[in-house]
Amino acid sequence: MPQKGEEKERLPERRMEENKAMKKRKINHIIWGICMAAASLFMLAPVLMMFLTSFKSIDEIRTAAFHLFPRAVSVKNYVEAMTSGGWLVYFRNSLVITLAAVIFSLLFNTIAGYAFARLNFRGSKILFLLLMIGLMMPPQVTMLPTFLIMAKFPLVGGNNIFGAGGTGFINTYAGLVIPLVAGSYGVFLSKQFYENFPRALDEAAEIDGANKWKVYFTIYLPNSKSLLATLGLMKAVAVWNDYLWPLVMTNSESKKTVQLALTMFKTDGYTQWNYLMAAAVLIVIPMIVLFLCAQKYFVQGIVTSGLK
Amino acid sequence: MNKNPGRKKPEERYDRCAYAMIFPAYFIFAVFILIPIAVVIYYSITNFNLYSAPQFVGLKNYRNLFTDGDFLTGIKNTLVYTVLTLFPQLALGLLVAVMLYRKSKLIPVFRTAFYLPNVMSMVCMSMVWLWIYDPAYGLLNALLKMFGCSTKQWLQDPNMAMLCVVIMSIWKSCGYSMVIFLSGLTSIPGSLYEAASLDGAGPIRKFTSITWPMLRPTTFFLLVTGIVNSFSVFEQINIMTGGGPLNRTTTVVHQIYRRAFLEFKMGYASAMSVILLLFSIVITALIFRFGSQGQDVEVA
Repeated sequence: MPQKGEEKERLPERRMEENKAMKKRKINHIIWGICMAAASLFMLAPVLMMFLTSFKSIDEIRTAAFHLFPRAVSVKNYVEAMTSGGWLVYFRNSLVITLAAVIFSLLFNTIAGYAFARLNFRGSKILFLLLMIGLMMPPQVTMLPTFLIMAKFPLVGGNNIFGAGGTGFINTYAGLVIPLVAGSYGVFLSKQFYENFPRALDEAAEIDGANKWKVYFTIYLPNSKSLLATLGLMKAVAVWNDYLWPLVMTNSESKKTVQLALTMFKTDGYTQWNYLMAAAVLIVIPMIVLFLCAQKYFVQGIVTSGLK
Repeated sequence: MNKNPGRKKPEERYDRCAYAMIFPAYFIFAVFILIPIAVVIYYSITNFNLYSAPQFVGLKNYRNLFTDGDFLTGIKNTLVYTVLTLFPQLALGLLVAVMLYRKSKLIPVFRTAFYLPNVMSMVCMSMVWLWIYDPAYGLLNALLKMFGCSTKQWLQDPNMAMLCVVIMSIWKSCGYSMVIFLSGLTSIPGSLYEAASLDGAGPIRKFTSITWPMLRPTTFFLLVTGIVNSFSVFEQINIMTGGGPLNRTTTVVHQIYRRAFLEFKMGYASAMSVILLLFSIVITALIFRFGSQGQDVEVA
């Protein structure tokens, strides 16, 4: 009982101290918030400038007097930029390539990651290590031979059985998509992710007589939302934004992607900044929307796959 | 598959279906990464030019490479770019990650702001920065003028061009390091920090004794992937400078692209690719050798 009394006496004192500490923490938090907000603004400044500039007329851009905001907001640049070429085709091409690459790479790489994480088979260690070469090598090393393999693929695009005579996979969707489905990174991330899965689940399924395929498709796949979001987002961003491979693989208008098309506005002598910025905004919007939708899972996916 | 109720040790049972499961991924990997490595090595000792059959020329391509001023400049520029981009980008990513590792409702907003440049295409962002750096109508010179400073030529100045590309690249990629570092931070047990607090450690001591050592595998991963990415720098170069002025920003991949797809010297460009491959392997091996001392690194 006397102890309780003592505590009661000390309470106001302690509360004041706590109050002080809380105030200090609050002030710290506000300072932190302001610093981070300033840094964020700095990071987003070029993007905001792109957006603002996309509404300016070319005369407004090519003037010595700089204004932050456009004089008048009009979508003229957007309309004119989009009607200045086959932009519908370019967007469709990019969309088709991205969707196909994402779907196939998710399917192929996660199932391979599951096999490496959970199944025992002869040579699994060596096969996995070999696969990791892809992580340690710039993809451009194999760009040239991959191009030649695609161009000389037998029995495709007018090629005969020896791969001569035609153009192979050049200027085809398949040529743009197939090499991009390869993903050491995807297999690696999936393996990490599935290794952290509770084993009890598939043991239960095995007792029920389910085979590994069924285990994967009914237990693992439905529970890998964050993995799929992470890998899907990374692949979508990589493919949609890719520039070098379409540059190498295509030379026709009909298979041009949006990234290639954007460079049309920049010629040696004169750059149409107004159209360029408008088109750039339209090109980055899909990826921004995708990121905002997937970001909850995305960060979670990186954390749970123990990527470190 | 395993109907055998007498449970054997996991090592003893083999899952045959595993081969079928890894087949699609492995097939594409083999056809588009493994076989091309062999092909590129083969072409590097020929004079292949896309139109006539390749003829064996021995090591002539490699001998020529070491007297090719453009290529040597490309190697030098690539190394300069790697050093100047990678370390600031990692440092900045780590700083922001540590700053963002706390509880607040604003975290997703800030995280998004820092990561956003990373999801936007390098082509678009190169174009935007091209405008920012534009000597006549660009944002930077406009700001300089506003504050009464003399304007600069930025990308057209041979001494500044590489630095301009580097700054843009750091801006573009530091968000990626930030996200990976953040995931590394969340895997550090909070009890370590509590124990350090009880021992009276300050924030700096906590960072040097707990955060930094615990983040070692994360840093290691980012270093390896970062080097691979930096060695393959091409898009921003091709769009912002085209390798100029005076070849000051040309890189290895830019040289490969020019020789292979503009001049069709496939054999010669293959030799360049092989050099790039060797560089990546050597440097990655060095990092593995010296970067993971005594650490149980699971990257590969």
